[in-house]
Amino acid sequence: MTAQATNPHSEAELIPVTAVEIITRVQQFYYREARLLDNRQYQSWLGLLTDDLDYRIPSRFIPTPDPQQRGTEAYHAVDNELERGGPYQAPLRVENVFTLAIRADRAFKVNAWADNPPPRTRRFITNVEVFKTADGYQTYNNFMMTYSRHDNANFTYSGQRRDTLREVDGELKISRREVIHDWNVMAIPTMGLFF
Amino acid sequence: MSIDVRTLVSDDGSEISRKVFTSEEVYQLEKKHIFGKNWLYLAHESQFKKPGDFVTTYMGETPVIVAMGDDGEIYASINSCSHRGLPVCRTDMGNSKRFICPYHNWSYKPDGELVTVPQERKVTRPVDKKKNSLRRVPRLESYRGLYFGCLYAGIEPLEDYLGDMRFYLDTFFNRFPNGVEVVGAPHKWLIHANWKLPVENQLGDVGHGPFLHGTLLANTPAMAELENYGFNTVPKPGHGAAVRYMPEDANPADVAWGIEGMAALMGQGEAVREYCLNVQSTAAQRIGENGARVKGLTYGVFPHFSLLWSNSTIRVSHPRGPGQVEYWSWWVVPTDAPEHIREDLRVNYTNFFGPAGLLEQEDSDAWNLQYRGSNIDYMDDVPYNYSLGLGEETTHPDLPGKVGSCYNEHYARQFYIKWREQIEKGEQPS
Repeated sequence: MTAQATNPHSEAELIPVTAVEIITRVQQFYYREARLLDNRQYQSWLGLLTDDLDYRIPSRFIPTPDPQQRGTEAYHAVDNELERGGPYQAPLRVENVFTLAIRADRAFKVNAWADNPPPRTRRFITNVEVFKTADGYQTYNNFMMTYSRHDNANFTYSGQRRDTLREVDGELKISRREVIHDWNVMAIPTMGLFF
Repeated sequence: MSIDVRTLVSDDGSEISRKVFTSEEVYQLEKKHIFGKNWLYLAHESQFKKPGDFVTTYMGETPVIVAMGDDGEIYASINSCSHRGLPVCRTDMGNSKRFICPYHNWSYKPDGELVTVPQERKVTRPVDKKKNSLRRVPRLESYRGLYFGCLYAGIEPLEDYLGDMRFYLDTFFNRFPNGVEVVGAPHKWLIHANWKLPVENQLGDVGHGPFLHGTLLANTPAMAELENYGFNTVPKPGHGAAVRYMPEDANPADVAWGIEGMAALMGQGEAVREYCLNVQSTAAQRIGENGARVKGLTYGVFPHFSLLWSNSTIRVSHPRGPGQVEYWSWWVVPTDAPEHIREDLRVNYTNFFGPAGLLEQEDSDAWNLQYRGSNIDYMDDVPYNYSLGLGEETTHPDLPGKVGSCYNEHYARQFYIKWREQIEKGEQPS
């Protein structure tokens, strides 16, 4: 897997979508995705991905700001805190359809102990911003997820997703996703879930 | 003390009380006598390239800055201002000429020396800068690029402390022509478990592999190889190294495949295999014939440093009370590995271990559930069974230390015996 260490779209190039029907379509896509994952239909969820999906979760650390950038927004840019990939950074996950399918299939085996019994999750997708690209859309959206496992292990996940959606035979599919989480020390049982 | 540690660990280490993992009183003794008196892993030399480069970490619960001073030497200082105690560094890593306390801006050099007290010129008597520098960690030594610190000045030299563990550390940290480096910031996550569970897992508990991780490891060639050639070794009580010691006439490819795992199947698989074979072809020059036959799995240095060789990660178990642990995990890569090979090797770390790892999520869950079990006070008189392979460990012609089969739990027995001895000794009136 070759890693692309930067966001392929810069904010300046993005054309905001104003058509309500498109925004609604994208939102409905996300709600359906969330429902599939909360219902543990992981194999069905794989159907929402393009074959060339680039899926990653950067790690996030507390960097020492560059004094040269003081006084500008770059001084505290979120991107300074992310390790996305490439040979000199240590992201949490860099995956493709093949590795995600391993996770999806594994979850339904009797001896997949971290999924058996499975967690009870509920995903909330908000702050959906949609931009037009040549063959689909680029979006930002926030997620909140409650996670409950065993009798009383309860956790909350939050973060941002930076997605690229592509139109494939009249259907929206995810071709790129970057999940930005909000912890330094991660106070959750695992980041190995589907976000 | 009201709790007697002699009642918590049997003389042969085969019975361990549940209270070892849950008692607040035991935890306070551990902070004093285990974390306060042993060599603790702090950082890797690859994290310091120029003066001012630093990382922040912990020694137990004590916050520490490790930095390269203006003289190019590495220093470790307690991260707490001499004036009001705030942390003078609040980031994970970077480069800085000064560590500045936010409250009154007292500032310190990377070696901990107090250099500026802004209020000083408004008062008559200057502050004694030397006396008010950051408190230095009294001992700091390195072995094969691994920096360890000790809060107790009277500890034996690091090399003596490691003893025969050096042979096993060498087989990884000296195997590659240009050594290894740590990439990026550590992955850190909080597990509701006692800090010793991750430690004993990495000291040699390779026996849980085909069971807890059955979906990926059961009935695999890797497990057959482990059962055929695997050993749990205790180079010195408290330390441990689980290895596969490959036959002298083994196909070099079977020995070289120590770190590539899934990387050999993906992306540039062929290039990864070739790189590993190249390393193996000259490994004996650096680590000897016997060392070159070692294909490691998990290593542990007392009390809380671990290397998961097979997945290229080093980790430390920072305690946060008896029932919580911050587990820190770094990706380690051969320094001279070409860029595309580094990326492929990372698959073997992040897909399986670290906070998002397929296998690690099962370990974290098991450690949490062990902590739940340890809290059943009705079972306080029923110790845990650590007897697997008791007395079966022996010596080996090529491998230093005591050597047992891959299911022998002597690594854990020796860990807890040493743990008991240190607390007992620490509590004796001097």
